Amino acid sequence: MNSIAQQFRHTNPAHEAFQDNDNEFFESGVDLKMAPSITVPPISQPTEFLRAHTDDASNPDCKIKIAHGTTTLAFRFKEGIIVAVDSRATAGDWIASQTVNKVIRINPFLLGTMAGGAADCQYWETWLGTQCRLHELREKERISVAAASKILGNLVYQYKGMGLSMGTMVCGFTKKEGPTIYYVDSDGSRLKGDMFCVGSGQTFAYGVLDSNYKWDLSVEDALYLGKRSILAAQHRDAYSGGSINLYHVTESGWVYHGNFDFDDTFWKVKASEGSFNNVDA
Amino acid sequence: MSVTSAVSSDYNSGVSNVPIEHQFNPYSDNGGTVLGIAGEDFAILAGDTRHTTGYSINSRYEPKVFSVGDELLITANGFAADGDALVKRFRNQLKWYHFDHKKNLTIKSAARFIQHLLYGKRFFPYYVHTIIAGLDEEGKGAVYSFDPVGSYEREQCRAGGGAASLIMPFLDNQVNFKNQMDPDSNGTAKKELKYLKLDEVISLVRDAFSSATERHINVGDGLEILIVTKDGVRTEYYPLKKD
Amino acid sequence: MNHGPYDWGRPSDDTYGAYNHQIAAANNSQFPKMNTQQPIVTGTSVIAVKYQDGIVLAADNLGSYGSLARFSDIERLLPVGDSTIVGISGDISDLQQIERILDDLQVQDSYDMEKPNLKPEHVHEYLSRVFYNRRSKMDPLWNSTIVAGLSSTNELVLKYADLLGVTYSSPAIATGFGAHLAIPLLRRKVETEEDASKLTEEEAVELVRNCMKVLFYRDARSIDKYSLAVISQSRKKIDIHKGLRCEDMKWEFAKHIRGYGAPQL
Repeated sequence: MNSIAQQFRHTNPAHEAFQDNDNEFFESGVDLKMAPSITVPPISQPTEFLRAHTDDASNPDCKIKIAHGTTTLAFRFKEGIIVAVDSRATAGDWIASQTVNKVIRINPFLLGTMAGGAADCQYWETWLGTQCRLHELREKERISVAAASKILGNLVYQYKGMGLSMGTMVCGFTKKEGPTIYYVDSDGSRLKGDMFCVGSGQTFAYGVLDSNYKWDLSVEDALYLGKRSILAAQHRDAYSGGSINLYHVTESGWVYHGNFDFDDTFWKVKASEGSFNNVDA
Repeated sequence: MSVTSAVSSDYNSGVSNVPIEHQFNPYSDNGGTVLGIAGEDFAILAGDTRHTTGYSINSRYEPKVFSVGDELLITANGFAADGDALVKRFRNQLKWYHFDHKKNLTIKSAARFIQHLLYGKRFFPYYVHTIIAGLDEEGKGAVYSFDPVGSYEREQCRAGGGAASLIMPFLDNQVNFKNQMDPDSNGTAKKELKYLKLDEVISLVRDAFSSATERHINVGDGLEILIVTKDGVRTEYYPLKKD
Repeated sequence: MNHGPYDWGRPSDDTYGAYNHQIAAANNSQFPKMNTQQPIVTGTSVIAVKYQDGIVLAADNLGSYGSLARFSDIERLLPVGDSTIVGISGDISDLQQIERILDDLQVQDSYDMEKPNLKPEHVHEYLSRVFYNRRSKMDPLWNSTIVAGLSSTNELVLKYADLLGVTYSSPAIATGFGAHLAIPLLRRKVETEEDASKLTEEEAVELVRNCMKVLFYRDARSIDKYSLAVISQSRKKIDIHKGLRCEDMKWEFAKHIRGYGAPQL
């Protein structure tokens, strides 16, 4: 009886109607230690709702366009790992930025690459950085690449089906593992491998990488190959471009090899290689 | 939720079995455009003052760039209610930061905090393009811009909102000298980057907004520029065309 | 996630099912669509304009049930405290909910303060946050409102707030159909704050009454009976005139309308 009466009472509507939205929303149901809680719209199909407003591929007129589109690659070779990425962010047809930093420096020995939703990657890989540091403090030793990538893989798996979009490579060098790359994506896949290209320009990058890759590559040649593969992708994939960021991961940590403007690099490579003959000088 | 509408009227022909929530679109677009530029020892954040829904001009003077203290400027352009809510939350937390730590919030920390505010609504996003401006720890001008769900980047300049696509290419050319060559090099060397002076930046901003007003229906009425230097924040207002 | 080169990174239909175009297409045009709530009794425009000594606002007394003029005695200008008027358009049941919320606010205020302290800036802030929190719960109060009054520093406050939590301020504001019909008329006299400071009370009342007449001519959800509130800075007082009628109407134009329906002999 009380519950029926409750339904039809107007008890202090002001209090009812005015509540801080921080704690009022239903939380996502994902409850991880150290992971911030993320609110979801209080409706029956929150994922459908999110997609309706953010999926620019299905609906170019959707209001909120999330930055997408990328080419990133990482490969293992004799002297460590090469990581190369482009720097373009697109929102629909609009180039939102040409200067995005798609390599996240998790710590001096770990790099994470960024493809898919810019915010998802940036946010969770930064978060991964704190988890790795906590591991270090607790265990008194650096985290393995396997463990680091698994933290990220488990995290995104908890959000599976809710609309996260990330395709990332966790790259690092540890004593017991050697140079290691793990591919982790928002579907929950976590794969160890020697070579990955990730993003809308992945196929173009694979084309160059596959045809020139050798395990015994010198550091100089490997860096060039990484750069050259991204260049090819930036040339052919409209959603990739800007500039190239190059990294070399060694046993003493990663080394940044600089930022290379696409246009400068393109004409230099064309002239020196005699390639890209589809383009007039 | 299974509330269904069973009343037939002008607005609803026949009985519908669609759950109520999907009939309601919680977003709208209130137009406007904003622009931030960082100089060597200053930063500016500017926005037009027109407020719209659809083709209606709601107000010709509704400021959307705010000075929130600690020499920080902030704007969240797009859906005005989300923008206001975000700025309000930021202001509130800034107050708590002062109580707790008795020191100013650096722009770097402000940027990271805003990422968390935005990402906290990853599955029900704030429909806004957020830009903050101020001075960094070395006293250099700084501009940070954010996408709706919190990915961010420090930049020299950034336009946001309705006419971003009109203004940003102009800024690339005039602030970062994109596609400009050094006149003395006979087209072989790029024009060297240099910091712009405050008066140069102001006139760029005024040109950007008067031009955007010419070609974008949601931009116009007034231009409010907030300027932050080591001496504090000051505001300038310039009228724009009102058609 | 889609792994093909073109739509890379986008949600794939295999995981999420087909894209639902209905959700993104759901829109609320100028006049709120009220088909999402059970009782579709609605009130049409509220209009308001500043003048040199205050604010004049008006709203008619009709409660429409779809196209049926169902109730003709709905009061949509609500006094809150002694220096605020809230004009509400949109769903009438939600109007009544807002009335209860604001009543409660006044009671709370009178407990704490020795004299009434609730000013329009507070009412507007409160109301717009109620709206925003309800929209964020996807359970909106389906209204557009105008808050007008004299602030704690005896300055004029004229602000708008609606179901989405959108707010703005302007010397001339109108909700619903009035945003299209009345605003051009109001802005012809009062485009800026400076214009408002030159308009006398008589001129302002005349202007608003003319707008109500024009709205009655063309807004099919309006009625010729309305309430009009005059907020005066110098008198520190608000007068609400109820049951006013549209006067000096000319309907001759109606018979010149051609082109709709069967020709009349």
